[in-house]
Amino acid sequence: MTPGTYLVVDDSKLHHQMYQLIFGREELAGSTLLHAYNGREGYELFVAHPELRLVFLDLNMPVMNGLEFLHRRRAESMHPQIPVVLVTTESTAEDEARGLEAGAWGYLCKPFAPEQLLALVGRASRLSQRVAQP
Amino acid sequence: MSAREHPFAALLAEYVSECLPLAEDVAERAVALERAWDEGTEADDIARPLKGTLHTIKGNSAMMGLPALQTLAHRLEDLWGVLLSDADSRDAGVALLVRGTGLLADLVRATASTPPAEDATASFLEEVDAFLSAERGAREPAREERRSPDRRTTERRAARAAGELGSDGAISTIRVDSRRLDALLETFGEAMIAQAGMRDAMRHLTHRRSAADELAQLERAMLGLDRTLKRLEGALMETRMLPISTVFSRFTRLVRDLAHGEGKRVRLEVAGGETRVDKTVIDRLSEPLVHLVTNAVIHGIERPEQREAKGKPAEAVITLRAVQRSDRVILTVTDDGRGLDPEGILRKARALGQAPAGDNPSLAEIYALAFLPGLSTADQVSQLSGRGVGLDVVASSIRALSGNVTVGSEPGRGTTFSLRLPLTVAVLRSLLVEVSHERYALPLADVAETLRVRPETLHQVARQGMMTWRGEVIPVLDGGRVLGGDTAESRTYCVVLRSAARHRGLLVDALLGHHEVVVKALDPSLGRPPAVAAATILGDGRVACILDTGRLADGWVEPAAALAT
Repeated sequence: MTPGTYLVVDDSKLHHQMYQLIFGREELAGSTLLHAYNGREGYELFVAHPELRLVFLDLNMPVMNGLEFLHRRRAESMHPQIPVVLVTTESTAEDEARGLEAGAWGYLCKPFAPEQLLALVGRASRLSQRVAQP
Repeated sequence: MSAREHPFAALLAEYVSECLPLAEDVAERAVALERAWDEGTEADDIARPLKGTLHTIKGNSAMMGLPALQTLAHRLEDLWGVLLSDADSRDAGVALLVRGTGLLADLVRATASTPPAEDATASFLEEVDAFLSAERGAREPAREERRSPDRRTTERRAARAAGELGSDGAISTIRVDSRRLDALLETFGEAMIAQAGMRDAMRHLTHRRSAADELAQLERAMLGLDRTLKRLEGALMETRMLPISTVFSRFTRLVRDLAHGEGKRVRLEVAGGETRVDKTVIDRLSEPLVHLVTNAVIHGIERPEQREAKGKPAEAVITLRAVQRSDRVILTVTDDGRGLDPEGILRKARALGQAPAGDNPSLAEIYALAFLPGLSTADQVSQLSGRGVGLDVVASSIRALSGNVTVGSEPGRGTTFSLRLPLTVAVLRSLLVEVSHERYALPLADVAETLRVRPETLHQVARQGMMTWRGEVIPVLDGGRVLGGDTAESRTYCVVLRSAARHRGLLVDALLGHHEVVVKALDPSLGRPPAVAAATILGDGRVACILDTGRLADGWVEPAAALAT
């Protein structure tokens, strides 16, 4: 996988460390991980980094939650090419439908294994290469 | 899968540090909610974060591969959903919620050492399931509505956790093994000893009055080093400080459970939880506090009907309070119960031959007797003094931290225990004294005054030395007799020691000035002389004992006993 920049938006410090642990693996060497601890911080970083390859967005957060993030992004047509994965705990089918409706590219359900996350990163990485070299 | 093989096993400590405050918060809210519903008071603010917090704990536990915790949090979410939507279920359900959230906090706390076993939660889960299915049966039509609560309305936990992080998103705290900090402190202590040695050498040089320029230069360097070490000390100590709320947080449930068991109504109020105290103090504080709070609920507080008969509110209040006063923290445990019985205490003390000298002991003197070994161990004591087991145990564990404990009480109105503790136990500001050619360190916080004595100011009353100090007659101990040196000499100085209730003089040969000493614990297997709290190493490499001033000031070291050792 070519190195890229990734954004994690989650209010749990523990989860940021989990992402860090996974991104410390060899196959992701050279990649950059950006951290935000609520939706608003996350959105600011999202706006400032058009080069993002993938965003991991927690659904339940203070200040601005994941769905509000997605709605604002759609309303402002901000970087529609960047895939955003919604991360939730035990979501219902309606939740997932609402998330995808709001523009989520994928869904990651806690508990997830590192391999699931890596698979999404791989998909996003191939997508970005197709976009860069049509 | 055991947590050890799990991909995120390395983050277990991080999990505990994130989830334990959340779980403790939920447990406290459950107790507060039970009370609010019972009293019919407004509970929305208490209840609002519950759902989101439980959800976070569930998610985190799931990620960490802790199924017992995940299931428990999930079931508590379900239970909470039922309680919210059906007010009739609350009486029965909220007690389950209190137990379950308490269990949750206990399990998270224990996770640091052992992954929780499924069976720790099994019987509780059965009870919740029985409750939930009974509720479902009672209101079948509402079932679907309950099962898909609107997740968008979830408000997630206080911003507290986010506050630990810088706004740039960088992690601003790191986890360090406290043994490494101890080792760092040890090294710092050695630097301080070396510096004290240099200072002594320089003092000697100054008297020679040669090489004045070089000396002045050296002195400036010493001053610089002094300041640097002071700053280093401050920074080091700061790393060991924890908010005292980490101890307080366990008491909400303790008080509730004890009160339930006793058929009493008790509310716990907490103040000053943000006060920061050395980790060692925190670690050793829990036990004596549990002791005092337990005693207050069981012996201090009356039954609701007794309270009402006395014109007091049926619900009693126990207050835990922490206040910082310069380099000490004062902790108080206050109850509004029946108070101590001074006559009962005095009677018991006389029976044990421990009554104070003098015919008319003050109330403070009588209450101080409550801490004597043997006085509060028998069950009769709970009848006559309103206090239960082992206050002497509390006193000795507080003294082991170079602190002291006193008690004040008003019959019928309540009792307050005050614990004065150092903020840190690693470095001690002390007064060095010499007795029979040995050096001793006295904690400066316990020194009221030092004075030169003339033999004619000392008197013998009932074979005890006395002197007048600031218009007060205080007992005086001879340092040589107490510390096992020779007893024949007449000594030049008197150090007036204070504990909260009384003063006592200690006669010494010389005053050697103020020093900051690094406290070295004594090897417990060697036993501990009654007047010695710990030891330290001085600038010249000699060892000095740090005296247990609380014990000396309270007169618990009888000269005869000291001679015998």
